Amino acid sequence: MTVPALEFVDVTKTYRRWLGGQQVAALSRVSFSVAEGEVCAFLGPNGAGKTTSISILLGFLYADWGRIRVLGFEPGDVRAKRRIGFVPENFAFYKHLNAEKLLQFHARLAGVAEENAITLIRDLIAKVGLSGYDKLKIGRYSRGMVQRLGIAQSLLGDPELLILDEPTSGLDPSGRKEVRDVILSLKAAGKTIFLSSHLLSEVEQICDQAVIIDRGRVVRAGTMKTLLETGDQVEIVATTLPEELEAELGAWGATVKRSAQNVSIVASGARKREIVERLWLGGSDVLRLNPVKGSLEDLYMKLVGKGDAA
Amino acid sequence: MKLRTIALRAMATNTFGIFLRDKLLIVFGALFVCVILLMMTPLLTLRARTTVSNMEGMQTYVLGVVSAIMYMVSGAGSLLAAWAAADAVASEMKSGTILAVMARPVKRWEFLLGKYLGVLMLMACYVIMMFGLSYLLAWMGGQRVLAASWMLLTYPMVRYAIYAAIAMAVATVVHPVLSWVFTLLLGVAAMLVGPGEEPITSAALRWLSTGWYYLLPSTQFLSEDRFLNIKQATLRQTGWAEHFLTLTYGVDYALVVLLLAMWSFHYRSLKRD
Repeated sequence: MTVPALEFVDVTKTYRRWLGGQQVAALSRVSFSVAEGEVCAFLGPNGAGKTTSISILLGFLYADWGRIRVLGFEPGDVRAKRRIGFVPENFAFYKHLNAEKLLQFHARLAGVAEENAITLIRDLIAKVGLSGYDKLKIGRYSRGMVQRLGIAQSLLGDPELLILDEPTSGLDPSGRKEVRDVILSLKAAGKTIFLSSHLLSEVEQICDQAVIIDRGRVVRAGTMKTLLETGDQVEIVATTLPEELEAELGAWGATVKRSAQNVSIVASGARKREIVERLWLGGSDVLRLNPVKGSLEDLYMKLVGKGDAA
Repeated sequence: MKLRTIALRAMATNTFGIFLRDKLLIVFGALFVCVILLMMTPLLTLRARTTVSNMEGMQTYVLGVVSAIMYMVSGAGSLLAAWAAADAVASEMKSGTILAVMARPVKRWEFLLGKYLGVLMLMACYVIMMFGLSYLLAWMGGQRVLAASWMLLTYPMVRYAIYAAIAMAVATVVHPVLSWVFTLLLGVAAMLVGPGEEPITSAALRWLSTGWYYLLPSTQFLSEDRFLNIKQATLRQTGWAEHFLTLTYGVDYALVVLLLAMWSFHYRSLKRD
């Protein structure tokens, strides 16, 4: 049996204020696991416990209760950290350094051999699109450039597991696409990725599975396929809809939406052949027939609501 | 082992680099240089006015000025050591840079040690500057420094190492400004409980005072002034055993407090403040 890359079992964390002040339950019996080579989305509204969970995974915070394993080790174990790349939310940097010096600093901490570091750093800077800016002080970078640099530093030392906390925040659409491409290339290279993001459409494109957390509790977890499954429903788009068929569709539990150009029918897959034949017989052209797939955004809104998933 | 040394060196030099660009420290340094220059001006004037008839009086006056400057420089070093150490970790927490660093294969104690070594690098520069200044002032006052150089370098360094360790330990649990104030108060308290010229008559008070004296950082004990002064007449010959014991006490004190800081930092939550 292979060891999961990440394992959270009944993890509980409460923030306590000094001198008997208010207690805030950040995580309540949170459990999930991520297998090696998977790309897992970690979703939830602000304050749901995402950053707390990531901080516990990296050993920045201690859980009050529960079992946590990262690549088979306790959180914070240097043997695990040697194999992890991390991009914190709003990556912070030493303003007096330039990109090259910052990456050199991180390369030394990561244990990258000096002789390999120069080439590696040059390649990483090119990979995140910062070539030509490597000698510029980071204090003069835009937020998007800083975020790219954060991604570059996370890739130092060829990590097996990447923990990305909002890696695309602050990036413009083309920057987001570049980061998405980097993540997809890492996925293709078999890396395990744990991605916290609010950009649900991106997550849907990239991730194999998702964990949705709200108010410190896991509200849904599973593979993207199972999460987005909506049964065997199909959508049929036709030019017109014969009146006699419309009456029958209601009886079959199908829904009909009309637009100026066409008619969209969502019905059970068991009825698709019959509906299409009736449409043709009624003189209508069938334009499309697709299985209905739920969107992550719909699921998220249903589970978490409050419109936080901007 | 080699990797650990590389990581420690990287953290220490980075910390030192941060200090060199710290606006607060730059302002502190600039003000300090201005004060020193102002205080040095009368030295030059006095030297020029020295004649054979007033030589003795002038020398006493000059040496008084030199002593005051060196006392001030030495005290400012303690303030600097305490502030730099208190701020070293706190500034990383405030900016959030600690998160990316601690995600690297670095243990918490290694991070703290790297920061501490960075503070010591800064203090080493300060001590070298202080050393140069003592020679400069002695020359300006028409005197010579007869002490061994290593004493003028080692004693203040150990003293600042103690202050830095205390400030760093306290800063792992409270705000850096509080830590700085606490460290300074501790230094003042240590001076107050130090053995005075008049013996304490009450046995209880004597015990209490002695207890505090051993517990508090008795940096007077580590003052190079105990053994020498720029004034030739007060130069005192000291055996190696005394130097060894005194310095061992200082290094030991700093190490114990640093271990305490590491222990405290181990349990601290690491997050952006």
